Amino acid sequence: MNQHIDPGSLRADDGIERGGMLLHVDNISLSFGGVKAIADISFDIKKGEIRAIIGPNGAGKTSMLNVINGFYHPQEGTITFRGEKRRHMRPHRAASQGIARTFQNIALFKGMSTLDNIMTGRMTLMRSNILAQALWFGPAQKEELAHRETVEKIIDFLEIEHIRKTPVGRLPYGLQKRVELGRALAADPALLLLDEPMAGMNLEEKEDMSRFVLDVNQQFGTTIALIEHDMGVVMDLSDRVVVLDYGRKIGDGSPDEVRNNQDVIDAYLGVSHD
Amino acid sequence: MLYRETGDFKSNYAADQQTFPIKSERYLFWAAMAFAFLVVPFFINDYWEKSVIVPLLVWAMAALGLNILTGYCGQVSLGTGGFMAVGAYACYKLMTGFPDLNIFFVVILSGGVTALVGMLFGLPSLRIKGFYLAVATLAAQFFLVWLFNKVPWFYNYSASGQITAPERTIFGIAVTGATAPPWATYLFCLAMVFIFAWIARNLTRGQLGRSWMAIRDMDIAAEIIGVQPMKAKISAFAVSSFYIGAAGALYFSVWLGAAEPTEAFGIDKSFLVLFMVIIGGLGSILGSFLGAAFLTLMPVLLKNVMVGGLGWPTDLAAHIEIMLVGGLIVFFLIVEPHGLAQLWRLAKEKLRLWPFPY
Amino acid sequence: MSPDFLNFIETVLNGLMTGVMYSLVALGFVLIFKASGIFNFAQGVMALFAALTLVGLQTGQVPFAHLINAVLGTDVHNWGPGLPTVLAILLTMAVMILLAYIVEKVVLKHLVNQEPIILFMATIGLAYFLEGFGDLMWGADVKALNVGLPTGGSFWWEDVTRGWASEGSEYFGMYIDTLDVSAAIIALILVIALTVFSQYTATGRALRAVADDHQAALSVGISLRGIWVIVWSISGFVALVAGIMWGAKSGVQFSLSLIALKALPVLILGGFTSIPGAIVGGLIIGVGEKLAEAYVGPLVGGAVENWFAYMVALAFLLFRPQGLYGEKIIERI
Repeated sequence: MNQHIDPGSLRADDGIERGGMLLHVDNISLSFGGVKAIADISFDIKKGEIRAIIGPNGAGKTSMLNVINGFYHPQEGTITFRGEKRRHMRPHRAASQGIARTFQNIALFKGMSTLDNIMTGRMTLMRSNILAQALWFGPAQKEELAHRETVEKIIDFLEIEHIRKTPVGRLPYGLQKRVELGRALAADPALLLLDEPMAGMNLEEKEDMSRFVLDVNQQFGTTIALIEHDMGVVMDLSDRVVVLDYGRKIGDGSPDEVRNNQDVIDAYLGVSHD
Repeated sequence: MLYRETGDFKSNYAADQQTFPIKSERYLFWAAMAFAFLVVPFFINDYWEKSVIVPLLVWAMAALGLNILTGYCGQVSLGTGGFMAVGAYACYKLMTGFPDLNIFFVVILSGGVTALVGMLFGLPSLRIKGFYLAVATLAAQFFLVWLFNKVPWFYNYSASGQITAPERTIFGIAVTGATAPPWATYLFCLAMVFIFAWIARNLTRGQLGRSWMAIRDMDIAAEIIGVQPMKAKISAFAVSSFYIGAAGALYFSVWLGAAEPTEAFGIDKSFLVLFMVIIGGLGSILGSFLGAAFLTLMPVLLKNVMVGGLGWPTDLAAHIEIMLVGGLIVFFLIVEPHGLAQLWRLAKEKLRLWPFPY
Repeated sequence: MSPDFLNFIETVLNGLMTGVMYSLVALGFVLIFKASGIFNFAQGVMALFAALTLVGLQTGQVPFAHLINAVLGTDVHNWGPGLPTVLAILLTMAVMILLAYIVEKVVLKHLVNQEPIILFMATIGLAYFLEGFGDLMWGADVKALNVGLPTGGSFWWEDVTRGWASEGSEYFGMYIDTLDVSAAIIALILVIALTVFSQYTATGRALRAVADDHQAALSVGISLRGIWVIVWSISGFVALVAGIMWGAKSGVQFSLSLIALKALPVLILGGFTSIPGAIVGGLIIGVGEKLAEAYVGPLVGGAVENWFAYMVALAFLLFRPQGLYGEKIIERI
C-alpha cells in the first residue's frame, strides 16, 4: 500500500519546491449571459498543500474548478499554472499539463469496467500510435502492460481489487466515488481537484475517503484542491481554506483563521445581504 | 463441465488481457475458425456463397465499422449506405485505373479513401451530437449517392451508369468477376473480415478504444480527464468509414459484381446496418457478427418458408419481413438493449455456474 | 416586371407551398418531441399509414386481402363501394388514436427511462413495422387519394400574373397548384388550432408541463402515460392531414414516408421544440430547395433537391447548433 505510484513521472518534477506557488488565480470573473458566477476572485495554491474551497450552494465553487481546468473560459483574469500564464485553454490541454479532477455528480464512464475507467485516466501519458495499436502485439501491448502495472497499484491503494472488472454503472455510490478518485490519480497529477469527494457518503465511507485523500497528499506529495461541505472534514484535512459566497471571495487563510472570520460566519449563518 | 474458468489462473497481466481469457472458449473459437477456413471451402456452392455467406461477411464488415462509430464512440450515423458507395466506387476506379494492382490492396485503398471522406463528414460531430449528427450524416448519404449518379467520371462514362467489376485474381485464382469460384470469393472475404475483426478488437481494447468509449459515456468528463474530443471522434469516423468502405468494396466487387448507386447504396442500407448493430449489440465485436448473421439469415429463412414452403407471393413475404425486422428492433430495445451479444454473455454466465446455479 | 423576375417569384411561391408540406410533417415531430423528448422517426410512416387507411376505407378494400388470399386461396379484394369521405376520415382518425394507444402500451411504456437515442432507434423500428404492416393491410401499389379538394393549376392566378409582365415579353403567367393553396390554408388553421389548444386548454397546459419537466409534472398529478397517448394521437392527426395533402398531390405510395427524412433538416433549422420554428424552417427549406433546383440544378445535372436540404442543415448546424429558435446550450458538469 505504500508503493510510490509512478517514480519516473515527469510531472512530479517541475522545479517547484514544496511550498512554492503551483497555481495562481488572478482576478477571475465569469458570467453566463449576464449572470455573474464568479466576480474578481484571486487566490493561490502552494505545492504540496491541501487547499479547501468552501462556501454555500451557488457560491461559484464548481465554476471555479471548471475555470481552473479550462472547461469554462473566464471573461476576465488569468490562471498561472507552474509559472505558465493562460486565459483560454481546452480542458484536455489542462489535463495533459497535470490537472486531474473528480466531479460533484459522478462522471464515470458507465459502460466501462473499473479497470478501463482508471486506465482512461492515463490517457495523456500513453503514446503508441494507431498503427501500433491496430497490431497490438509489440509496442502497444508493452505500453498497455506497463500502464496496467501502475493502474493496479492504484487499485490496490484504493482497495478496489474485487471490482476490477465490474462495469462501474453497477457499483454502489461510495465505490463509484472511489473509482473516480482512482481515475484522477491515474493521471499522475500535479494538481488534483476534488469536487465534493464525500458528498452523500455515510460516516464510515467519509473516513475511508479522508484517509485516501490524506494518503495521496502525504505519500505522493500531490497538491490537492477540494470542495467540501462537511466542515469537520475540511477543518481536519486542509492546510488552507478559501471561502466563496455569491461568486466573491470572503475569506482566505488557515482553517482557524477562516473559522473566526466574521464574514464567513455571516455567510454560513445566513445573515441577510442588503 | 465444458465451460470452466476455475483453475484457469492468470499469473501475468498479458494473459489476463487476452481476447478469450477462458481456455475452453479459446479452443472453441479456434475450432470454429479452423472449420470456417479449412472445411467450409470444400462444401460451399454458388447459392450459399451468393445468398448467404458472402453477404453475411460483407454485412459483418460494415456492421463492425458502424459499431466502432455508434457502439463504441456513441456517434449515430445514417450515412452507412453513402460510405459503402464511396468504397465501391473507389474500388471500381482503382480496379479500372490500375489493372495490375492486387485486389487485396484495392480493397484496403478503397477503405482508405472512404476513411478520408468519413473524416470530412465527421467534422460536424465536433460541434453537434445525437439526432443532430444523425441528420448531418444523412447529408452525406444523399449527397454521395447523388454524386455517383451525376458525375460520369465515377462510372467511367458507361452508358448504363452502372459499374461492373472486372476479373481480378489472388495467387492466380479469380476472386472477382463472373467466373470466380465460390470457395475463392468466400475465402477472400473471410480472410479480410477475420483480419479486420482482429484489428477492430485490438483498437477497441487499447487506449484509442477507451478514448472512444469515454466520449460515448460522458464526453465532457472525457475531455476534462485528457481525451482530445477531436482526435477521438475523427479517428472513430476514420476507422469506421475505413471498415464501411472496405465492406462497400467487397459488396460491389466480390458479391454483386455490378452496382448502380441508388439501388445498391440507398438509405435502406444505412438502416439495415444500423439494425444489425442494435440487434447484435452496441459496443461489441461479436455483436456485429451476430447482428449481421441474424439479419442476413432471417430473410433467407423467411423467404424459404413463406415463398418456398407456403407458396406465398414474394411481395407479401417482403412486407412481413419488414414488419418483423421493425418489430424485432423494438423488441430488442425493450427486452435487451445490449443485443444478442449480451444474451450470449448471459448464457455463458449461466453455463459457468451450471449445474450449481447458487 | 421581366419574365426572369416573374419566374423567380414563381419558384419562390412553389417553394413556399412545398415548404408548407414539410412544415406539416415537421409539426408532428415537434409535438411529440416537446411532450416526451422522443424524436419520432415514424412520423412520416404514420402519414403514409394514415393515407393508406383512408384510401382503403374510402374505396372499400378488404384489409389484409393479400394475406387472406395467399393463406386461404380466396380472391377477395373489396367488400363494397366504400365509405363516404367524411366518415372515412373520422374512422381513420379513430385508427390513429388506437395506434397511439397501442404504441404507448406496447412500446413507450417499456422504454420510459431509456436514453433519447434508444427511443429514437425504437421509433425507427416502429417506422419499419408500420410500413410493413400498412403494406400488408392495404397493399403496396400506388393509390390515388381524392378527398374532394380542388386540384390543378389556378387559371385566375395565371391571368393575374400574365398582366404583370412587361409589355411585349412572352410570358404566360405563373402556375400555382390549387391543392397547394388549400394545403397552405389547412396548415395555417392547424397551427393556429394547436397553438390555441396548447395555450388555453387544461390538457394543453399539462402537455407543456410535461415538456418542461417529467418528474415535476408527475408530482402534481399529471398522468404521463395519458399525456403520451394524447400527444401521439394529435401527431397522428397531424400525420393524417399531412398524409391527405401529400397523398392527394402525388399519390399514396412508399415515397410518402421519405418526406419524414425531409422534415429532419426542417427541424434542425427550426429547432426541435418550436412550432413557429417548424413552420419557418419548412418554408426556408422548401424555397431553398426549389431555388437550388431551378438555378443550381442545371449546372450540375439536376436532382439537387435530393440533398440540398441536408446540406443547408449541415452548414447551419456548424454555426448555430441550437437551431433558429432554440436556446443556447450551457454545458454543466
